Amino acid sequence: MSTKTPQDTAAKTPKAPKKKGPIRWEALIPFALVVGLTWAYFFFLFDSHLRWALETGGYQVLGAEVNVGKVETSFWKASLRIQNLRCTDPEKPEFNMIEIGDIRFGMLWDALLRAKVVVNEMAVEGIKIGTPRPRPGRVKPPDPVPADAPGEPSALEKEANKLKQQAIDKTQAEYSDNVLGDIAAMLSGTSGEDQLKNIEGTLLSKQQMADFQKNLEEKNRAWQERLKTLPKPAEVQALQDRLNKIKTSDFKTPQELADSVKQFEEVFKEADAKAKSVQAAGNDLNGDLKAFETGLRDIEAQIRKDVASLEARFRLPKLDAKAISRSLFKQYMDPYLAKLNRFRSVVQKYAPPNAVKKGSKEPDVAMQPRPRTKGVSYEFGRPNSYPLFWAKKISVSSKAGSEPGAGDIAGQITDLTTHQVLIGRPTVAKFTGSFPNDGIQDILAQLSLDNTKEASVVAFDFNVGAYPVNGREVVNSPDVKLAFASAVGSLQSKGRLVGLKELDFKLANRIQQVKYDVAAANETVQEILKGVFDGIPTVTVDADVAGTLPEMAVEVQSNLGFEIQKGFEAQIKRKIDEAKAKIQAYVNEQIGAEKAKIDAELAKLKNQGEAEVKKVQAQLEAQKNQAQAKVDQAKKDFENQTQTALKKEEEKAKAGVQKEAEKAAEDLKKKLGW
Amino acid sequence: MTLLLKQIFAFFKLLNSDTGTNQLAAGLALGLILGFSPMLSLQVLVAFVILFFFRVQIGAAFIAAFFFKFTAFLLDPVCDLIGRAVLEAEGLRPVFVSLYNMPLVPLTRFNNSIVMGSGLIGFLLAIPAFFVFKALIVKYRMTVVARFRDTKIWKAWTATSFYKWYAAYDRLYG
Repeated sequence: MSTKTPQDTAAKTPKAPKKKGPIRWEALIPFALVVGLTWAYFFFLFDSHLRWALETGGYQVLGAEVNVGKVETSFWKASLRIQNLRCTDPEKPEFNMIEIGDIRFGMLWDALLRAKVVVNEMAVEGIKIGTPRPRPGRVKPPDPVPADAPGEPSALEKEANKLKQQAIDKTQAEYSDNVLGDIAAMLSGTSGEDQLKNIEGTLLSKQQMADFQKNLEEKNRAWQERLKTLPKPAEVQALQDRLNKIKTSDFKTPQELADSVKQFEEVFKEADAKAKSVQAAGNDLNGDLKAFETGLRDIEAQIRKDVASLEARFRLPKLDAKAISRSLFKQYMDPYLAKLNRFRSVVQKYAPPNAVKKGSKEPDVAMQPRPRTKGVSYEFGRPNSYPLFWAKKISVSSKAGSEPGAGDIAGQITDLTTHQVLIGRPTVAKFTGSFPNDGIQDILAQLSLDNTKEASVVAFDFNVGAYPVNGREVVNSPDVKLAFASAVGSLQSKGRLVGLKELDFKLANRIQQVKYDVAAANETVQEILKGVFDGIPTVTVDADVAGTLPEMAVEVQSNLGFEIQKGFEAQIKRKIDEAKAKIQAYVNEQIGAEKAKIDAELAKLKNQGEAEVKKVQAQLEAQKNQAQAKVDQAKKDFENQTQTALKKEEEKAKAGVQKEAEKAAEDLKKKLGW
Repeated sequence: MTLLLKQIFAFFKLLNSDTGTNQLAAGLALGLILGFSPMLSLQVLVAFVILFFFRVQIGAAFIAAFFFKFTAFLLDPVCDLIGRAVLEAEGLRPVFVSLYNMPLVPLTRFNNSIVMGSGLIGFLLAIPAFFVFKALIVKYRMTVVARFRDTKIWKAWTATSFYKWYAAYDRLYG
């Protein structure tokens, strides 16, 4: 038999689990693991992920492929370095829009701890423009068409309308922007006035006149019917007869007078009712006549439009210097304006909201709502505090080297920020430089973006001392081709964009040492053009663009316009006038007879209707007046009669009283014994 | 993922045991704060540190965060209104201006109307929610768990050798 010692008992009794405290000490190792993994991610993977994010974001914003060579970040220094950044040109994907060799900057930890990004100085180096890409970059397709809202045209209809509009625009461009081609066509005698006979029935004014005439005929018939319902002379005569029969004098009793007055009133009312119906008919007639006159004016306006449209259709050139300049250089300017619009839409989409509280004139520093997809983020800034993003200074420098597209550029951007009101300064950029390998010299670009007031103001100056203009097409039509074979240009431009909408832009472009490339199908045109252009070694193009984007008034002036006008005036002016006269004659022939018929019908309706109404109206008015006069006369007669009777009675009474008095006096004398 | 599943299983195990009422309730309350807070914010980081270093039931917090995230999503318009009202209050403006320009505080993203509104709701509800969850857990254990343990199926199950083996394993390694 064995005995258990107390030690044995203690060894076999299961130990009560140790009570755990509130702190989870065993979590230290997993925590260290998490920290280690996080560090490893940032050390090994973060840079490549950031590079991918930059490329993807850049593609979304610019609408074309963006490539980043290398990204380096440092957590402790809060720095970022981006090397070999290449942005594809969306219009020419085989070229880069811009290539930047190196971008590096460090952020302030003091600001990062406040969830802000503040950069003291950023360096941008190695800038190249328009360099070829090893392979064409991807270009973002247009955004998908949103789902159709009820009542709105379907996507298919929208697309059809878009295509239709494009076709119209193309046709208009062909008609209006090819002045040299039109002149050549006119001189060659191939202008379209011979085709006038083929367009019969397409005049809108003709259709409009047919509708008008139909309407006029219908109205005319209706009026003929209505005129028949107006009071006839017999009815007016009947009223006259009734009026004559009414007693107007020698009333024996007031009842007789009252009866006469009643009869007069009845005749008067009847005449008045008839006069009113005639008046209403007159008013309606006037209304209809006015409507017809307006319709006639519309037709005349449409005829003028038809003439203008035919002139455009048959490409009759406007031979004035301004129109020629506008026509020649519109297609020269269009790409620049399109670029401007494109950058404006990008800026408008991604720029920070205006630094102004809604409804107040002065910007509020303390509080700014920033609408987002979810909720509203307020900025509780105060003067001299950090805005969400602030790059105090960005230094740009680049050395040309021997590669094409590389430039000598120096400049800086100061105070690039999301909140200019906080720092109280606008963003200002200034660059100077040249691209010697591409023949571009003396670039001076200045930009100021002021968002400290209610409406943002972007002011910019862009000057280029010299740039090559080689093989630049000005006109390319089947009849005429004109290009600058070689030339040296210089430009000065100045602009101001208020509220990202109101643009005022002036451009002075001077193209010197010009060698033209002129070709025309017609020999005469070729000779004239050569003669004109040989005498113009310098071309000036001054553009003035003003208005609300994207609808802008573009004024282009060029000495080319004057010279071309001078060169062609003698030959072409007579032809243009002849063609215009032919068009006018054609229009007159098409619609002249019908218009004359309409005029005659309208005049007939006017004369007949108005005369008829006026005649009946006059008769009825005379009847009314006569009835009124007779009533007045009857009343007067009766009053006179009454007055005479009263006087007689009075005299009779007076005589009776006198007689009675005399008799009483006699009786009294007798009694008194006188 | 395995760690997460383990924590969620642990939550159900603890819920059906007789201990850890405070841990569970605290986890659920913390989950409420997590659910009402934006994912990338300082308060979420602080909540995770608490979950990690204090004995709060992590599975409970994750389950509560998952469900309260949906609630917060549905309450977004209300939170937006509350947040706007608070952030636009003239009297609180100096406080917010100071907070906004302090280090670290802007990392809470308190300046967003929805974050402010949902944060207020989350933090204000967290304390009463702790006590409500605690009471509900006790009630659950008294009614549902106790009744289930009295069923013949459960008794038969606990009598199996497999269950005994599992219970021994759980006691030693669980």
